[in-house]
Amino acid sequence: MTNPPDERGLELRELFFETSLELLQALNEEALKLEKKPGDEEIVRVIRRTVHTLKGDAAACGLRELSELAHQFEDALSLESTATQTAVAEIAFAAADVFTEMIAAYRNGTKLPSTKNLSKKITDLTAAPASGKTRRTRKAAAKTTTGKTAAGKTSTGRTSTGKTSTSKTSISKTCAAKTSATRASAKAVALWTEYEKVAMTKAQTSGLAVYHVVVKIDPHCAMPIAGRQLIHNALAAVGQVIAVYPDAKSPAATKHVEFVLASSQTVAQITAKGRIPTISEEVTIELLLEAKAAPQAAADQPALDPEADANPPEAEARAPEAPAPAAPFGTVAATQENVLRVEASRIDSVLNLVGELIIGKSMLQQALNEFAKRYPKELLRGKFGDAMAFQARVLNDLQRSVMKIRMVPVDQLFRRFPRMVRDVSRQCGREVELDVSGQDTDLDKGILDAIAEPLTHLVRNAVSHGIEPPEERRKLGKKPHGTIRLNAYHHGNQVVVEVIDDGRGIDAQKIRAKAIELGMTNAEEAARMTEAEVLDFIFRPGFSTAEQVTEVSGRGVGMDVVQSVLHRLKASVSVETRPGQGTTFRLKLPLTLAIIKALLFWVEQRLYAIPLNAVLEIARTFETEVHQVDNYEVLQLRNQVLPLLRLGRPVADGERKAKLFVLVITVGERKYGLIVDLLEGEEELVIKALDDHTFHTDLVSGASILGDGRVVLILNLPAVVEHVARSRPTELGHCNSGLLLSHTDRARMALTPVEGGQA
Amino acid sequence: MEQFAPVKRSKDGQPVRYLIVDDSVFARKNLARMIETFGGQVAAEAGDGLTAISEFDRTHPDIVLMDITMPQMEGIEAAERIVQQHPEARIVMVSSVGYQENIVAALQRGARHFVQKPVKPEVLYEVIKYVLGDDGAVASAAGAGA
Repeated sequence: MTNPPDERGLELRELFFETSLELLQALNEEALKLEKKPGDEEIVRVIRRTVHTLKGDAAACGLRELSELAHQFEDALSLESTATQTAVAEIAFAAADVFTEMIAAYRNGTKLPSTKNLSKKITDLTAAPASGKTRRTRKAAAKTTTGKTAAGKTSTGRTSTGKTSTSKTSISKTCAAKTSATRASAKAVALWTEYEKVAMTKAQTSGLAVYHVVVKIDPHCAMPIAGRQLIHNALAAVGQVIAVYPDAKSPAATKHVEFVLASSQTVAQITAKGRIPTISEEVTIELLLEAKAAPQAAADQPALDPEADANPPEAEARAPEAPAPAAPFGTVAATQENVLRVEASRIDSVLNLVGELIIGKSMLQQALNEFAKRYPKELLRGKFGDAMAFQARVLNDLQRSVMKIRMVPVDQLFRRFPRMVRDVSRQCGREVELDVSGQDTDLDKGILDAIAEPLTHLVRNAVSHGIEPPEERRKLGKKPHGTIRLNAYHHGNQVVVEVIDDGRGIDAQKIRAKAIELGMTNAEEAARMTEAEVLDFIFRPGFSTAEQVTEVSGRGVGMDVVQSVLHRLKASVSVETRPGQGTTFRLKLPLTLAIIKALLFWVEQRLYAIPLNAVLEIARTFETEVHQVDNYEVLQLRNQVLPLLRLGRPVADGERKAKLFVLVITVGERKYGLIVDLLEGEEELVIKALDDHTFHTDLVSGASILGDGRVVLILNLPAVVEHVARSRPTELGHCNSGLLLSHTDRARMALTPVEGGQA
Repeated sequence: MEQFAPVKRSKDGQPVRYLIVDDSVFARKNLARMIETFGGQVAAEAGDGLTAISEFDRTHPDIVLMDITMPQMEGIEAAERIVQQHPEARIVMVSSVGYQENIVAALQRGARHFVQKPVKPEVLYEVIKYVLGDDGAVASAAGAGA
């Protein structure tokens, strides 16, 4: 167990550092649970298992200090007397923190943090009651976990021999192979839980036959999980579905699905129902006999049963460090053999190439169109067209698959909040419950990483500013503990992430007063502002209403960072607040960063694009319909007044009769009209980032190349809107037509504000 | 385009009537063309979920082909509402691979089937025959596979 300096050792360490984060996360989560249910044996067991895995992994990487400390903790937890103490949760938190620090130190090659404190706490824990220091018997542990999944069972094979730090790598490998083999056979025979057995017998007594239905999913079916649901629906129509295997999240779920079905129908009828074109490839039905069916089912699987739960000594002998690294996460453990860890940059480069291909596709399309025009009678055209269509379809699938790789569930992000909320609420003396929903929603990894910080900020704010102290809440007749809800869901082409608290809300009057005080606006103007406009102030740099700066929040930096990060992502943030009832921050995020559907249009003989999902509608109107209110141009569109953003030069009086295109767009929660000269069409754009040297403006978020080689600039709408809002015309009668984009010099591709347009 | 043996309603031998819901006009036309090759008839089209509901109430189609991502109201919600009102409604979700979870959700809320975008006529044909079950009849045996 020496420090392996070779490359393989380093690789192993890197893997450990990554996986350990998950373990520590699990440790935090379990500690939180334990805090709510002190002394819960099951939770303590999970904690111990997690620590055990960490210990083993650390030892395998030659990280002795970490391994020893984890070992000490684990040992303390295996004593009956200590495991039930309430201090365990506290120590688990402390341990998670120390472990995190240690791992960071290993990673960066810095000095290890002191572990004395934690070590002493653990010793105190074991020392406290002198009686009953018996090691928990394995039998008990095995008994309580009966009925769990096979993965869970194997991982309970926690062992005393685990202490001897054998070089783990080789053993764990063979052992992983073994467990996966048992798992496979387990699924083939199918293992029914107690509940399912009971349900089966019950169904039999009520006169139904119980079948074991195995449906092989057509490998060509692109959506096997949806297919699985459909099969489920179909079978549910002919009987009662008692059990479904494997779990929808497991990789095996895409290949086949097994049901235990209680039905009065015949095998042929059920088979016919289960045979769904394009989805199920093969349906096999086995009748699990009437009265004796359930025991029979149990007897069918002796191969698995003893191995999984009744035989821990054997497992122990064979596999001293049996638990897979991620054992506490049932699904992770199950999928392990099929998971590939790939650096994000590699996927990015593939995505980049796909982008280039898409450009190539539109080049071809363009060439083909020209060809068709030149030789309208040429028969080859059809062939080209077919080939193009085929290529386009494949390309589309390719793009989707690559994007899918980049998608991760927001749970990855949400998971870190329970601990944080707990810590922050303690610091500020709040009682807060965190409620998380929609954690399965998928989001681009890059976006997920980017919103981690803003989201953290919003949640901290919600705890420290939003939720009132318990006594204040009581006085107001609210529950003493506040609730913060994290929610994520798909909405059209976007993902929405919400942070909702039921605290005091934001007082618009206060914001107004503060904004005036800070000189961000004047009293007259502030009075005219709508509440939404007033709330926007909280996103300005340097704005804070907190009377005192607390440790956690209120330094006045933050909300502006939140907004700038979101703008960079072409996302938006909006606030909704009801005084006394709470505040909702809503982040609207794009599904992906790399490719957008865009609307292309011309302004001043130059091509621009905006994301299509920001466009609500396109209106045509006349210059004469444009009115001025407060030096702003507005348009009355049906029954709403739309503030206009003029991208081009203001019209001379002579052209007042000209027709206009107005794109109605939404930015945040509000609508604006964008005046453009001419529309080009919609297109899928592959976004190319622009570096600051070529371009120095936040009005443009990127550029793209069209099929014919033309370059199009993609406007950053929030910045454009802000730009207009900020540049207030001083003289009366001088209309703020904004004129954001113009290029005085054609040779230089630049965006400059026109003279006088900006304050 | 391939030729399919027309599928008719078994109760009266009339063409099967469809409601096509998709926010893309192109997609609607494309589906409509396929349906015509199946001997079906487009009862109505809708570009969003809300319209889909009112069109369903108006026309009572035999089959609804429903896109998932649409303005106003998404396909899942529309499907759910229609099924609540008309449990007998046969709704087939039409969506791309990326929305598998949404399809699962739709199926749990009462949709009968799904097809993947881009829609292949032969797949849609099979799906429609399956969804119609005994209420649909293939007019002439010629050419109708599986």
